[in-house]
Amino acid sequence: MKRIARSLIRLYPRQWRVRYGREFAALLEDAELTWRDLADMIAGALCIRQGEYYVMDHPAASPRILDFKDRDIPHGFEMESAIEYTRGDGQPAIVRQFYREIDLGDSYVMISHSARDSEPAQTIVVSGVKGEVSGDFRSDPTEMLVLNPDGSVRHTQQTVNTWLKGEVFREKARASYHSGLEAGLSLDQIFKKWTQNPGLPAS
Amino acid sequence: MSDPTLLILASLADGDKHGYAMLEDIQRFASVRLGPGTLYGAITRLEQRGWIRAVRWADDRRQPYALTAEGRRHLQAQLSELDQLVKAGLRRLRHA
Repeated sequence: MKRIARSLIRLYPRQWRVRYGREFAALLEDAELTWRDLADMIAGALCIRQGEYYVMDHPAASPRILDFKDRDIPHGFEMESAIEYTRGDGQPAIVRQFYREIDLGDSYVMISHSARDSEPAQTIVVSGVKGEVSGDFRSDPTEMLVLNPDGSVRHTQQTVNTWLKGEVFREKARASYHSGLEAGLSLDQIFKKWTQNPGLPAS
Repeated sequence: MSDPTLLILASLADGDKHGYAMLEDIQRFASVRLGPGTLYGAITRLEQRGWIRAVRWADDRRQPYALTAEGRRHLQAQLSELDQLVKAGLRRLRHA
């Protein structure tokens, strides 16, 4: 459980990890963790990434999935979502996101395009070359372009450790979504069922 | 009361604490078990607002936090509002 929790820190933005990563890891070492804590970490990472704040212990502040689509496409998949969050000041905010991932064999491309309410969107394009595998991780040289809402562009190159079991986890989440739809569940029911048993791979 | 920012401020009111110590303290005095993502989301926001600050500590992994003067004022104001609410609610219950 603790090993999975440590791996989930990678979901948090790099800048956040530089500031809080070490102490967050220390907290995970000290605390008795449950599956619910892992779901709490995933939700926390999503909110930090979107500059929002979401509290799982506060039912009124839980995100509401307004729309979600997941599609297989040639060499990859794409997802569209519209999620309503309650911000720290109590006001609702709708975040719309489009995500596409293409596997080109030895390399891959990921595109994320997201916007909050009527504000200008942020687009992130990542291209990576599959590197050497060591244990559960693969070392990938990547290039990232961040097209900010204010028109500025940030270009970075770095080697990223990709958690291979994370891909298994993601595929299970996608399978859970599709089987939920086939069973006639609502999006909120599917999300709730998944957070109760996210099917994280054993470490 | 389940607002994590208020719980953290209340926890730090009687002394500096690191993340795990806050979790334990909050569970003890408020019977609320915060998740790690919720706790550090709240710590991030409180530090950005200047209501708490990281303090120097020999152990660079278990980082303690302290309430700032502004954070103390905010906590005082929030608790006063809650106190008025509790008193009004109890008064109405007695006269119902």
